[in-house]
Amino acid sequence: MNVTITFRNRRNRRNPFIPIEAEMITPDAFFNNKEICVGEGNRTVHLNELADVGIEGTASSVDEIEILIRGDASLVKRVGEYMTGGTITIEGSIGMHCGNFMSGGRIEILGSADGWLGREMQGGEILCHGDCGDYCASGYRGGRRGMRGGSVEVIGSVGDFACEHIAGGDVLIHGNTGDFACAEMKGGTVTILGDTSRVCANMSNGTCYVYGCAAEMIPTFEKRGTINHEGLLFHHFRGDVANRGNGDLYTARFTYLQ
Amino acid sequence: MESRDVPCPFCGCLCDDVFVTVENNRIIGVENCCTLGNAKFLSKKRLKHPIMRKNGKWVEVTYEEAIDETARILSDAMRPLLYGWSGTIGEAQVVGVHLAEEIGALIDSTTSVCHNPSILAIQEVGHPGCTLGQVKNRADLVVYWGCNPIEAHPRHMSRYTTYADGYFIDNTASDRTVIVVDIRRSEGAKVADEFVQVKPGGDYLVLSALRAMVRGKSDVVPESVAGVKKVQLQRVADLMMKAKFGAVFFGLGITMSRGKYKNVRNAIELVSELNRRTKFTISAMRGHFNVYGFNEVLTWMAGYPFAVDFSRGIAFYNPGETTVIDLLERREPDACLVVASDPGAHFPKSTIEHMAAIPTVQIDPCVNATTALCQVQIPVAITGIEVAGTAYRMDGVPIRMKKVLETEFPTDQEILERIVIRIREIRADG
Repeated sequence: MNVTITFRNRRNRRNPFIPIEAEMITPDAFFNNKEICVGEGNRTVHLNELADVGIEGTASSVDEIEILIRGDASLVKRVGEYMTGGTITIEGSIGMHCGNFMSGGRIEILGSADGWLGREMQGGEILCHGDCGDYCASGYRGGRRGMRGGSVEVIGSVGDFACEHIAGGDVLIHGNTGDFACAEMKGGTVTILGDTSRVCANMSNGTCYVYGCAAEMIPTFEKRGTINHEGLLFHHFRGDVANRGNGDLYTARFTYLQ
Repeated sequence: MESRDVPCPFCGCLCDDVFVTVENNRIIGVENCCTLGNAKFLSKKRLKHPIMRKNGKWVEVTYEEAIDETARILSDAMRPLLYGWSGTIGEAQVVGVHLAEEIGALIDSTTSVCHNPSILAIQEVGHPGCTLGQVKNRADLVVYWGCNPIEAHPRHMSRYTTYADGYFIDNTASDRTVIVVDIRRSEGAKVADEFVQVKPGGDYLVLSALRAMVRGKSDVVPESVAGVKKVQLQRVADLMMKAKFGAVFFGLGITMSRGKYKNVRNAIELVSELNRRTKFTISAMRGHFNVYGFNEVLTWMAGYPFAVDFSRGIAFYNPGETTVIDLLERREPDACLVVASDPGAHFPKSTIEHMAAIPTVQIDPCVNATTALCQVQIPVAITGIEVAGTAYRMDGVPIRMKKVLETEFPTDQEILERIVIRIREIRADG
């Protein structure tokens, strides 16, 4: 089944800056033939009011559902939340919380993603061709474990607190990260091809590779010499000692704030 | 007439030993209070009537008309924001939360721009805190980190820490050690036994280094961390470990600088680490006299301490998404009610521009910077001077605010209740 959702221009609506809460845009909801309603401020409206929805063909399982999102979806939140299978392709940019808690399927974003992309995800894969906001592949406020499984790949750069509390899964960031990437890391593998800042603060476990420069290194990591990884020389750190941690941080270059 | 033990409705210290002299329903004398509190008790300027903008001009209107207009604005809005709350009592805040739930609004308090990160950190790792009475009577080591009590909480040192007589402290001047950590030598730093000057944004790194030292892992720490020499860090760590009872107080210097709640989390984890060796506690230096109270009220009513979005019928909380600055920056709210605070004086320009562009109503006794952004302002009685009620001190102790003057102005609570009733009437009419 192919579902095409084309968001209309909201210039004529009363306040075009109000985000749309669209946790029902998942392959699972379309498979179960649910009436798709979204939140616009304190009103609940039918998706048809904001977008043209076209459905072609049928599906015998959730994995046979492909959703294509077109038009301006940069303020549409929670797309793909709790999805278990199928695919979602977003032609432009997407709002916050895309792929929250997803356990299967695939999300591809051709533009950029706002904050909390793949928050607490457990499985499946996300590919974002543009940049990503803060808290990419992280957890929720006060939660002890962030992303637990699956994979996230961001071709651009990400904001602050990327992979906070990550406890499993693989993350690959081609660009740079903001401050405090991999804070409180507990498991999983994160690879940052660009530069980062205060990486792996308070980590207890897991593995992180930084191909660029780790600026303002946390001063409580133990130097363990250098290693050769994929033909490149990396400094190996173990920590965070302040947190009795046993995580591994490999970085090509690093600086301290002295 | 003289009133003893009046709690001061200014800062989070909530000093409840103020002596107020009243003559002909006017305060003519205040004793025991600091300059900040004094100014509030003795202030005379206030707004006398509700005002409303009509054709670009301020016009005096009746309470009836102002409340009617407020109710119309709020019931019409798709994403109303109710902000402020820290300068009023719990009894009024309760009505505010009911109002937010009823109209599906966003509700946030001044916590959002002060100790919001402290709460996020506490939600991650807990809060090894205590009341200020414990600190006063027991603490032989006091640490002020990223705060300047002499200017922001002028009586904190004399009532609770450095200069306060303590039951278990023989000589408060010689038996208490004071450590101040800041990016500059503030007034507070001048009375410190040990002043640690950190490079701006380096608090997190210094805290990590201290944690490792308390763990006995000094060897991993480099010779200098964020501008602080390793020797000094070791001296500070030793002072902390030697203390019988240590109390850390932190302010906006670590909550609102780079790293935000991670800084606070690291400070809390340093205190946890120290508690393996001795007794240590940590507390936030809260600002408004009842900012803590709003966190209490909203937590018992909605489950979260600030930044709650009721728009979908349930309480949703996610600072960064539902916090006031982020919302205004993204131009989401289409109506705003400001109660008992002055965002116009403190918020970034872009957010204030949005507040001025949407219908904004303020409930406040005085004309302030926010008035310039409003469509309507409703003056009320001054809480803690003309209205009695409950406020929470910075350490979470509830204190009954007193009424020392008679007034004809309605209270925050009355105005909010009338707005709720009017909104119900408008909705019933359909």
